Amino acid sequence: MGFRTTTAVLVGRAVRVAARARGGGSAIPGNIALKINPRFLEDTIARIPLGVVAVSGSNGKSTTTNMLAGILREHGLKVFTNPSGGNLPQGIASSVLSSVSLSGVLDADIAILEVDEGYGPKITKMLQPSTVLLLNIQIDQLNRYHEPDRVVRMLEEVASTATRSLVLNRDDNHLVDLDTRLGSAFTGSRAVTFFGASPELIGAAAHGLASADRFGDDSRGDGSSRIAVGGREADVTVTDIGDSQAVLGIDGRDIAVRLPARGLHYALDAAGATAAARAVLGDRFRPGLVTAALNGLTTVYGRGELLQVAGEDIEIIMMKNPASLQLNLDSLESAPEQVFMAVDEGTPDPSWVYDIDLSSLDHVDVITGSKAWQFAVRFGYANIPVGTVDLDVRAAVKQFLALPRPSKGRKTMILNYEQMMAIRKILGFKELEGGGQ
Amino acid sequence: MAEQAGSRPLRLLHLFPTTLGLNGESGNVDILRRRAESRGVPVEVTRLEAGAVVPAGVDLVFIGSGPVSAQMQTQAAVLAVAEPLRALAASGVPFLAIGAGFQLLGQSITLADGTGLTGASVFPVTTIVAGERVVGDFVVESRLGMLAGFENRGSYVDIGSNAPIGHVVYGRGNVAASGPGAGASAAAIAASGATAEGTVLVAPDDRVEGFWVENLIGTHLHGPVLANNPALADWLLEAALVRRGQTLPLATPDLVEIDRRASEARATIMAAPLSE
Repeated sequence: MGFRTTTAVLVGRAVRVAARARGGGSAIPGNIALKINPRFLEDTIARIPLGVVAVSGSNGKSTTTNMLAGILREHGLKVFTNPSGGNLPQGIASSVLSSVSLSGVLDADIAILEVDEGYGPKITKMLQPSTVLLLNIQIDQLNRYHEPDRVVRMLEEVASTATRSLVLNRDDNHLVDLDTRLGSAFTGSRAVTFFGASPELIGAAAHGLASADRFGDDSRGDGSSRIAVGGREADVTVTDIGDSQAVLGIDGRDIAVRLPARGLHYALDAAGATAAARAVLGDRFRPGLVTAALNGLTTVYGRGELLQVAGEDIEIIMMKNPASLQLNLDSLESAPEQVFMAVDEGTPDPSWVYDIDLSSLDHVDVITGSKAWQFAVRFGYANIPVGTVDLDVRAAVKQFLALPRPSKGRKTMILNYEQMMAIRKILGFKELEGGGQ
Repeated sequence: MAEQAGSRPLRLLHLFPTTLGLNGESGNVDILRRRAESRGVPVEVTRLEAGAVVPAGVDLVFIGSGPVSAQMQTQAAVLAVAEPLRALAASGVPFLAIGAGFQLLGQSITLADGTGLTGASVFPVTTIVAGERVVGDFVVESRLGMLAGFENRGSYVDIGSNAPIGHVVYGRGNVAASGPGAGASAAAIAASGATAEGTVLVAPDDRVEGFWVENLIGTHLHGPVLANNPALADWLLEAALVRRGQTLPLATPDLVEIDRRASEARATIMAAPLSE
């Protein structure tokens, strides 16, 4: 495989060992491997026999990647994947370092990669995925992407790199007809399939699927009107949801699957993963294996995860962006008894919290992180009582843990991604996202 | 205090809330309503969408920000109500206009591809989509004290010789800085660990933000702007009530507590402002 790759693997691994010993810095080894060999990802991942499946979208990438990897493993494939959150080139390279041989060979049949929207065009151009799965376009990280329209264009670029098949969410305002915008040269030689949920389920959700609004271009170039959201035939459809489970309709057959937590958005992730598995496997796809695969998965942490701390359950609710927060709040069964919130500079502009319906909370006990006071103002205007605000995260966590045991035994933490990582560490959970296994 | 308010509610006109509703903009309207209603001043909000006519008796006008696609889509609807909006402005009705909405209420917008969009000419300003996008915390010194929030824009606003809201303490403002010290970029200042106060000393230049002449206020300060800066909300309410011969009653205890939190929020931003 060449000297540069071997050097990249050796040096990257050494750095990885050092970084893990310190308990941090999971993307650094990958970064160094890429510095030594800029083609490190092409040289390792692009050689995997069944190629690459790229998973992208605003929300649910980690959960869906985990599900898809599980389904393909259940079908007997050896899967290489990037652990949740490691979706930038350096994070993917760090994952490669943990499983590649010195000569640059990855022992895998297929790679399932969660791909960041911003880096998606670059990564997918590099890796030429056979299949692209796009989940949704929601209002997300406007400080980084500026406008949802830019995310749409980036994901169109990602989609256009698929060499064999494209799998889209028919219930997303922008994805429902994304294939038609790629032109006949693309669609003529690729299989385009869809997943979605029954209109009844979407109608029953308090805020639907929180798909980003689409403005302008009501008609297509030829004057015909645009395909309405939901207006595509889906291969896999969510037909029912229960508490942490869902029913998926596949070719007229219903299968039950377990979800990481309550919520239609998790059911759609499962439908997307199943539709992608079907696109990848073709005749080898067995619907029955989906149930077994999803039952056997562990939760990707921070996504509906329950942590056990001193005999109490702490439920983690991620507030990566407006859509994920709204959907997670909507899926609460009742107002949580004890609520902790931590938001820092990972959410530079929290203005969007004024677009969120917070009525499923009846109070917040402790707020921390550098954005704490901005959230305290928001709760003030929403008439939701706030206990204390303490910008010292450790002190705030300590104060929250000291609250009397809740009657239902469950405390709730609402965290942005960066605080989820920090607080897991504070609570004594050492695993790192974006690094090796 | 209810006598103060009189019988007629304060009529707030929210322009194009569906298309111009990015960045939690509707929060500004909710905040104005809450700050009036807590004091016993009833409020009536009219959400004006494309095709509707401007109602009679408007006391305060708000328009928010949105993506360029929404701006293009809304332009015709804005022009359709331009005349009544100019009449409201001429009669002293206070306006708060943010981002894309501020630009549409100006005279013209030149898009990145050179296309020109005509605006409603409520504000004597022009916008050019150009330059490097600025994204980061935003601190402006105004006649109401320090205003703090977030800046996220990829265009320049030319306010001519009109008055701005104030000098930029952290962030960019209407146009790229050109005065002495203009070379010190916000990012470099952030990296040096300078405080908001320190920044003024490090980079004295001519950066200014927004437009504030009589009762017309336009800005690219997000947050939403009234969340972190309740003094601005109260100024708008006061200006609207004065036109009716009324005054704004004192803040109620719930508002005093919210304002304490907002003051802490501003202090937190100013103590360590960041940009990308």
